[in-house]
Amino acid sequence: MSAANAAPITATDSLSQALKANIIPNQEYLLQGSVLDSAVEVLLHRLRGLCDNVDAGPETFDDQEVCFSLRDPNQQSAPLMLRVRKALDARDMPYQLRYIGQPDLGDKTRPTVVRSSLDIACNGMLIEFLNELGCRIEFEYSVKGYMFRKGRMKITVAKVFKISQSSAMPPEPISQSYLVELSVLAPQGQDAIAEDMRAFADQLRPLVQLDKIDYKRLGHMAVT
Amino acid sequence: MQREEKQLEVTLQAILNRVNDLKTAIQALIAKLENEYETINWPTFLDNYAILSGHLTGLSKILQAEMAPSLRALVVLPLQLGCERDEALSRLTEGRVPACTHDLVPDLLRTKPEPQAEQRLQQFNHKASTLSYDTAQKQVTQFTKVVSHVWEIISKGREDWEGDSMRAAGMQPTHTMTDTHALVTAVGTGKGLRPGMPALPPGVGAPGLGAPRGPAPQLGPAAPAMPKAPSAIKTNIKAANQIHPYQR
Repeated sequence: MSAANAAPITATDSLSQALKANIIPNQEYLLQGSVLDSAVEVLLHRLRGLCDNVDAGPETFDDQEVCFSLRDPNQQSAPLMLRVRKALDARDMPYQLRYIGQPDLGDKTRPTVVRSSLDIACNGMLIEFLNELGCRIEFEYSVKGYMFRKGRMKITVAKVFKISQSSAMPPEPISQSYLVELSVLAPQGQDAIAEDMRAFADQLRPLVQLDKIDYKRLGHMAVT
Repeated sequence: MQREEKQLEVTLQAILNRVNDLKTAIQALIAKLENEYETINWPTFLDNYAILSGHLTGLSKILQAEMAPSLRALVVLPLQLGCERDEALSRLTEGRVPACTHDLVPDLLRTKPEPQAEQRLQQFNHKASTLSYDTAQKQVTQFTKVVSHVWEIISKGREDWEGDSMRAAGMQPTHTMTDTHALVTAVGTGKGLRPGMPALPPGVGAPGLGAPRGPAPQLGPAAPAMPKAPSAIKTNIKAANQIHPYQR
């Protein structure tokens, strides 16, 4: 009887319950590096040997990412950044809305960058919705490359392109290197995976040096 | 009584088997050394040693087991020494011991180290036990220092050597820090990606022109460039810095 009278469980309830139980993978462990165009084939070869999805060949992807910012007019705090990603090679896939928190580098003993990360799949109305909310497009780019898997780890090797204003022009690559990222999404406190990532990153040396990179600090350095 | 004898028999048989195994292993090693000394390589040589040590372990295991005490209670008493050749003994030992002479017996039946060796061992033990704690500690630190010094020399040498061999093999650097930083900053903050900004010239690692809000990048000492990066990069970026329309 009492169960029937109790308030129905809402989505918010189950979400907060999941948060409390710490089962939501909302932390991203991340290592970044790059590889020159001339050496990318060697790296792909090595990754094919090291990773799980070897028989099917490397998985390719071609995404476009748009970064929106939402400013609070009353406050001077940093704007909230939201990223929307859509697959250019698979149009029927949902858009991906992503929030990425401040990267936490920790001290020397921490093997990887840790940042909070929330992903959600959305439909094509998302951009309109964000515009209505008052979000402004900050920048956009496209990434095209390969994706590998090793247990829970995800490895992407991708070229970053600047999207040109006129659609007639082909996208321009940002540099003569591929961006290499090694990441794992996990619930809070699963620091053991970071050690595994370090070990994996060491196997890619000296081809690629995957490291904790703080782009905030890099931007800061440029001022001085 | 009979049971004890039977047990002794079994034990002796087991030990004999082990000793024979050991003997064949040693023989094989010697044969290898004599016949293949030109072609033998270290791994096979060490494999042979591993076999020997395996047999030795097996033997000592048997001796340490419960059956051994009964052996320990037995005494070998040499009844007669002589210089004449003993055919039976010679046959038993495959021609190695022709006679039970005064020369050989002390070595063959020895159960303790030689008196001289024993004396020296005792001297060392005494020396070690009288050493003061401080002196021992000092010596240990000294030793560690020497070892770590040697270790440093070796690892430095190895690094040099690996670098040399890499250069000798014509290996190009496969990644540059500047590109890594450029890509990570671009993806993270949109530097060089914002609309309306002229694109950076390809070939230059870092985006030369910053975002409206972002300051222009400068390759400071904290951004370690690869040793082989052409020096032109630096001047290029400086030039971009000067024409920056948004510089405050």
